[in-house]
Amino acid sequence: MVLLGQSGSGKTTALRLINRMLDPTGGSICIEGRDISGLDPIELRRSIGYVIQDFGLMPHWTVEQNVALVPRLRCWDAGSQRRRAQELLEQVGLDRTVIGPRRPYQLSGGQKQRVAVARALAVSPGLLLFDEPFGALDPVTRHEMQQQFLSLREQYDVASVFVTHDLLEALTIATRIAVLDRGRLEALVPPSEFLTLQTPVARSFLETLPDGLLNSRIS
Amino acid sequence: MDPTVLKILLHEVINLTLDHIVLVAVSCGCAVLIGVGVGIAGTRHPHMRRVSVAIASVLQTIPSLALFGFLLPIPLIGGIGKHTAILCLILYSLLPILRNTIVGIASVDRPVREAAVAMGMTDRQLLRLVELPLAAPTILAGIRIALVTNIGTAVIAAVIGAGGLGVLIFRGVASVNTMEILAGAIPAAILALLADAGMSLLERKMAQS
Repeated sequence: MVLLGQSGSGKTTALRLINRMLDPTGGSICIEGRDISGLDPIELRRSIGYVIQDFGLMPHWTVEQNVALVPRLRCWDAGSQRRRAQELLEQVGLDRTVIGPRRPYQLSGGQKQRVAVARALAVSPGLLLFDEPFGALDPVTRHEMQQQFLSLREQYDVASVFVTHDLLEALTIATRIAVLDRGRLEALVPPSEFLTLQTPVARSFLETLPDGLLNSRIS
Repeated sequence: MDPTVLKILLHEVINLTLDHIVLVAVSCGCAVLIGVGVGIAGTRHPHMRRVSVAIASVLQTIPSLALFGFLLPIPLIGGIGKHTAILCLILYSLLPILRNTIVGIASVDRPVREAAVAMGMTDRQLLRLVELPLAAPTILAGIRIALVTNIGTAVIAAVIGAGGLGVLIFRGVASVNTMEILAGAIPAAILALLADAGMSLLERKMAQS
């Protein structure tokens, strides 16, 4: 599922509500049928993979230590932490022997992004949250990352909530698109139906597409 | 100068230097515990941060000689002797340590803190694994300032009978004896330089790890 909306429409807030970084003022949030307000927030967060905006890698740790963060919090032994970290680095397309011992400041934007994704996958979470993860990347790298996201999603078979303000990205990776407008859900549709939406925010997003592209997709 | 007089003076310098080191070590140790502790608490409770920094700032503005004087007549904590001097030096060392602890922790990048919390760190883990290691250079810089200043301020402790190298300096000033002033001032300066060099070494070690 992709959350699409302008800045300030509540996309990030929605993610933060899901892992209880924020608590709702009304209503309830359920994961697999269980109301999360009854769950321990620390345990809940450790069971959800979260890729935050701006990566948030620990600058004083190596890449390997960064990836093994949640296993470490879950008190895995050092050997298992290391093996898992190396396995994950390979899965996101990084050379574990070269990149593993490096510090985050020695990485390119795309590499940092991959490390952040690997970290989120570390304990095979039941749910993945992505907050504009590919916003800061160049178009080619972004495309690669989107493809990688799709294949990892397939491999891990995990539900994910993906925040973006990029319509093309939403159309590429979504199975469902939720359009947010100032904290309200404006529409919830599969990508194939998005192009025919008449709601105001959906229209203004569609207007950002080049004319030819929109017409050819509709016809 | 008579060799016996010189020998007595040398003996006195060594004893007073050790005295001085005790004053500085005990007061700095306590100031680190209190300053870092209160500083950490201050990053969790904004009200506590404002109050503690305000108190430490006011203490710092009191001339050190006056602060020693103020504590003298106070029962239990005051009076003549080492404990009063140590209390005074602690109060005087708090501000740089407290402020640098707060600044160091507050300057941890927002995304880093966000990620740590989002991955499921408890507040203690956030502090131990992320905030303190990243704030360590700043905190150390604060301790370094406190330590070096403290060695100078401890000279004044002699006026309330706490001993230390100030004994020689004050006696030298009173009797216009340059030799005695130097016998107190030079070891104090050397102590300060050594402390500064030691702390700088420690900072570099921390930066490498």
